[in-house]
Amino acid sequence: MKNPPFHYHRPATLDEALALLAEFGDDGKILAGGQSLLPVMALRLGPPAHVIDIGTLEELKSIEVSDTAVTIGAMVRHAEAEHSAEVAEYTPLVAAALPHVGHRAIRNRGTVVGSIAHADSAAEMPAVCLATSATMHLASAEGTRNVAAPDFFQGFFTTAIEPNEILTGVSFPAWGPTTSGTVVEVSRRHGDYAMCGVACALDVADNVINGAALAFFSVASTPVRIAEAENVLLGQAPSEATYQAAADVVTDTLEPEGDIHATAAYRLHLAGVLTRRGLAEAHDRIGVPA
Amino acid sequence: MSSATTDRQSSGLGFVGQRVKRVEDERFLVGEGKFIADLNHEGMLHAAFARSPFAHAKINSIDVAAASRLPGVVKVFTGAELNAVTNPFIPFFTVGGLYTPLYSCMSDDRVRHIGDPVALVVAESRYIAEDALELIEVDYEDLEAIGSIDAALKPGRTQLWEKADGNVLGEFTDTFGDVDEAFNQADRVITKTFDCPRQSNQPMETRGIAVVVDPTTGHLDIHSTSQAPHFKKWAIAAMLVKDSTAASLAKFARNSERRSAFLAAAKDFVAANKEKMAQQDNSGMVSQLKKDPSTMLHQLRMGAGLLAADDYPTVMAADIGGAFGSKGPVAREDVAVAAAASELGRSVQWIEDRVENLLDGGQAREERFTMSVAVDNDGMLKGLRVDAVLDQGAYTGFPVAPALIALLWKVYFPGPYNLDAFEITSKIVTTNKGRVVPYRGPWANETWARERMLDLVAAELGLTPVEIRSRNVMREGVSMPDAFITGPTIDETMSVAKTFDRALEMIDFDQLKRDKADAEGRGHRLGLGIASYHEAAPGPPNFFSSVQPGTDLFVYEDGRAEIGTDGTIRMFTSQSPHGQSHQTTYKQVAADEFGVKMEDVEIVWGDTDRTQFSFLGTGGSRGGPMGGGVMRMTARELRQQVEKVAADMLEASVDDIDIIDGNIHVAGVPSRGISYADVAGKVAADRNITDEPAFMEAMKYEGVGNGGWSVATHVAWVDIDLETGEVEIPRYLVVEDCGPIINPGVVDGQVRGGVAQGIGAVFYERTHYDDNANLMSTTYMDYLVPTAMEIPNIEIEHMETLTEGENDARGTGEGGMIGAPAALTNAVSDALGVQVTEQYLPPYRLLELAGVIEPEK
Ligand SMILES: Cc1cc2nc3c(=O)[nH]c(=O)nc-3n(C[C@H](O)[C@H](O)[C@H](O)COP(=O)(O)OP(=O)(O)OC[C@H]3O[C@@H](n4cnc5c(N)ncnc54)[C@H](O)[C@@H]3O)c2cc1C
Repeated sequence: MKNPPFHYHRPATLDEALALLAEFGDDGKILAGGQSLLPVMALRLGPPAHVIDIGTLEELKSIEVSDTAVTIGAMVRHAEAEHSAEVAEYTPLVAAALPHVGHRAIRNRGTVVGSIAHADSAAEMPAVCLATSATMHLASAEGTRNVAAPDFFQGFFTTAIEPNEILTGVSFPAWGPTTSGTVVEVSRRHGDYAMCGVACALDVADNVINGAALAFFSVASTPVRIAEAENVLLGQAPSEATYQAAADVVTDTLEPEGDIHATAAYRLHLAGVLTRRGLAEAHDRIGVPA
Repeated sequence: MSSATTDRQSSGLGFVGQRVKRVEDERFLVGEGKFIADLNHEGMLHAAFARSPFAHAKINSIDVAAASRLPGVVKVFTGAELNAVTNPFIPFFTVGGLYTPLYSCMSDDRVRHIGDPVALVVAESRYIAEDALELIEVDYEDLEAIGSIDAALKPGRTQLWEKADGNVLGEFTDTFGDVDEAFNQADRVITKTFDCPRQSNQPMETRGIAVVVDPTTGHLDIHSTSQAPHFKKWAIAAMLVKDSTAASLAKFARNSERRSAFLAAAKDFVAANKEKMAQQDNSGMVSQLKKDPSTMLHQLRMGAGLLAADDYPTVMAADIGGAFGSKGPVAREDVAVAAAASELGRSVQWIEDRVENLLDGGQAREERFTMSVAVDNDGMLKGLRVDAVLDQGAYTGFPVAPALIALLWKVYFPGPYNLDAFEITSKIVTTNKGRVVPYRGPWANETWARERMLDLVAAELGLTPVEIRSRNVMREGVSMPDAFITGPTIDETMSVAKTFDRALEMIDFDQLKRDKADAEGRGHRLGLGIASYHEAAPGPPNFFSSVQPGTDLFVYEDGRAEIGTDGTIRMFTSQSPHGQSHQTTYKQVAADEFGVKMEDVEIVWGDTDRTQFSFLGTGGSRGGPMGGGVMRMTARELRQQVEKVAADMLEASVDDIDIIDGNIHVAGVPSRGISYADVAGKVAADRNITDEPAFMEAMKYEGVGNGGWSVATHVAWVDIDLETGEVEIPRYLVVEDCGPIINPGVVDGQVRGGVAQGIGAVFYERTHYDDNANLMSTTYMDYLVPTAMEIPNIEIEHMETLTEGENDARGTGEGGMIGAPAALTNAVSDALGVQVTEQYLPPYRLLELAGVIEPEK
């Protein structure tokens, strides 16, 4: 459990970092908080030859708020976002997700964007990206581009990030007062990756659901958003029966696999239960200041 | 009041019985602990093992050339190279009907489990050593793997060991009372099978060994995370013997001094142990030799080599970050690393990493029990039949073979309940899995299966769990026999009924009813589970001979103490502390005896050059009663020696001498006192000694009384979310009786830690092999040790049954883990209204049992 030799680079600017990536291509890897990369290296599971540490890049360390979005930079630690008043106010689903990410010690070093780039199918943040229709900002030596969340997550630990690109930040749409959301999940122990979880959002005005999002994690190779279940909710009054109808669609749609912690049947069952619980909780949070 | 209590008060400061803070903690908390990886010897080389990725395979070839050429690599040993310079592991412990396959420190022609070591890299750093591992090429040829008890029991499957009968290594039956009669007479017979999957001891510190070679003499200083350093010393010495038997005997014969010393010692030993030796059961050796006569040749060669050796390794255990039994055995890695260092003539260390630890650091408890209970309709138990199977994995643990666990079942299974007859048949099977080691109450599954079965029998008879236990539990003055049907004697320390009654007082059954209704209202189910057990800690004098005649030869405890010429009190223990607070409790005991402060006593442990021999080291909940007992007795003797000299110095009678806070004085005249330093100084001056102690005492201790039972009743409240299978433990109660407590804080800690591991066993921890013996739980992502977040507050009620004997403290290291799985699974059964017959209950399984989801096919 000791990592193999590698070259360590600490660029002073984003451009330098991008130049290094352009040089090393597949042999280079970005090091953000290291909470996923370092264990992978210690276990010698496809370790990179070049590690490019972006930890000192000031331009990646901010949370920016505009009228329409909250943009979290690549070197914003989980803990910082978790405790940010702006994040809580404008993108409460992100705030709701973060306490579920590992343990406090991990959140002190790990980054929100690193978690999204890593794209563990059991992680919370990728599902939040789907549920909020977040926008991923990518940069390479050749320029920048944006990718929408549904196009970003492509498979187990696989995203739209090209080998020469850095995910510089992620923008979450700012929500109005009629919208809120939550993340509910079941994990074996406190702080473990979930066996099943859902990031859900509801937009409710005058007791009518005008918008809904349900993005599941730990049920497939990527987070999964289920439009059919969301559609069941639209135009309805929030109620246990409505939530159950959505949950029924969820359990008809998903086809999770089993592992040593959860059988397929258990995962599917949890997806239904968590849909109901999550929607009820999301509704309760609307209009409640974070 | 016991005499121990009175003595304590008259002799000084009265530390025993107090919740004294641990003396170990300050050092640990500021990072000053000296664990195996902290030693940092100069010039130390680092070892890493190449391990099999196959569960079962033939090795066609191994190529280490590229690895050997890597800069920084000193040497790559193939398995064959190390096996050529070491002797195999031969059974230390045999049982009639058991065959123990011999094995070497490395595997050279065949691998038998994932993680089986096939080569050893020695390099300048562990990083380089691991780089080299990636360059080793092994050509494996896959064989059918045996991945379960069922597969092992099936005839005609691929055998792990050529000389075995299939994959069953042994089968033994023991019968107590007239079993047929009991079963014929009883109103009913109820039969059920219980399964416990594999778990792993998970100490925070993994295993490790650092072998420091003296370049001029070749002497080995072996630093080791060992619960039993003395045994490790002799085992490694034996396995490193290279000379032939004849050469060693010739050398021994030439050394007349050695020869006569040995013969004299042997004569003394035989004289002292004639009776026990006569009882020794040799049927195990006979079974072994029938299968593998070479066992004897190896034994002779190692024995002769030990007689002839000019030097033996020193083994040193410093601070140890937990073990729970896993560091008692001598492991293959120990021998391989010692051999490598010895061959190279250079110091080498190996620090196990967590993946290795989960592969083969020690596994436990994969066992199956089919129990038949003969019972009358009123709930009175008559007879018990048990068919047990233990999956020992590929290589038999050394020296404590899993067969010993089966023999402990034989003694313990009836529990604290009266029975007319009992029969148990145990099979030991071998599978392509990691090595089974003792794990905190190694036999504990008898308590789990029995206490689960009691609830099940009660349910069939329309009784409550409380009723069936009340009717059958041994009660002093009512139904307490003089001995268990399985042999060991009983005295008032068998106080299970007291703990049971007290536990019942502490349960509010009306409240329970309301809480159950409330839980149902929330979509949850709440249940309560009760379980009782008794443990020989240390047990009566005939305990070990009941387990196996002759084993009592090894279970005494030697004590030694000295007072230096400067008055320093040094107490030597052959215990090897690894989290049990020995240093604190021993200081309490000794300080009280000497009438000094705890910091005035130095405890010496872990170094085989300085401490007295012990086979067992720390294990079996014996640290308090045996280690602490001999500490008290030796201190007392030594104090008497001091008092004699002091009486002369103070011109008083010995009977009038009192010692309070180190002030040795004539009772009533503390102002004219002298110190231990004064007395020691006087002795030194009189005898003109400088570098030897002023006072010395050594003694052998075999325990006291006819009981020595440590007992408890556990009660668990379990709340299950019927939608998610998530579990909460709103209350957990332990009513325990380990006799007079040396330090309640330490006992609480032991109980809590044990219960935490029991909670882990039932709800979180599983060493998960698939049917092809592939290990699925190789990191802490998948082997789930509960954290503080998963462990509830654990209420502990102490009942201190005192006997007339001194040294009445009874062990408490294992009990928490013995009682917890039973209480918890009973509570789950009560909550869900189903009779649970398996020990591992993750959320998905709870929902399957509750009928909420379909079971996996
Ligand atoms: C014990 C433990 C428990 C955990 N539990 C959870 C949990 O419950 N839920 C959860 O979501 N996570 C969990 N994690 C993972 C944790 O959240 C990680 O911090 C996170 O997944 C990765 O963030 P990081 O900044 O540490 O990334 P790193 O480890 O530095 O990098 C991870 C990967 O992403 C790439 N990467 C990182 N940043 C960028 C970027 N800006 N551009 C391109 N590529 C990038 C890296 O090259 C690497 O491949 C756990 C981790 C541990 C150790």
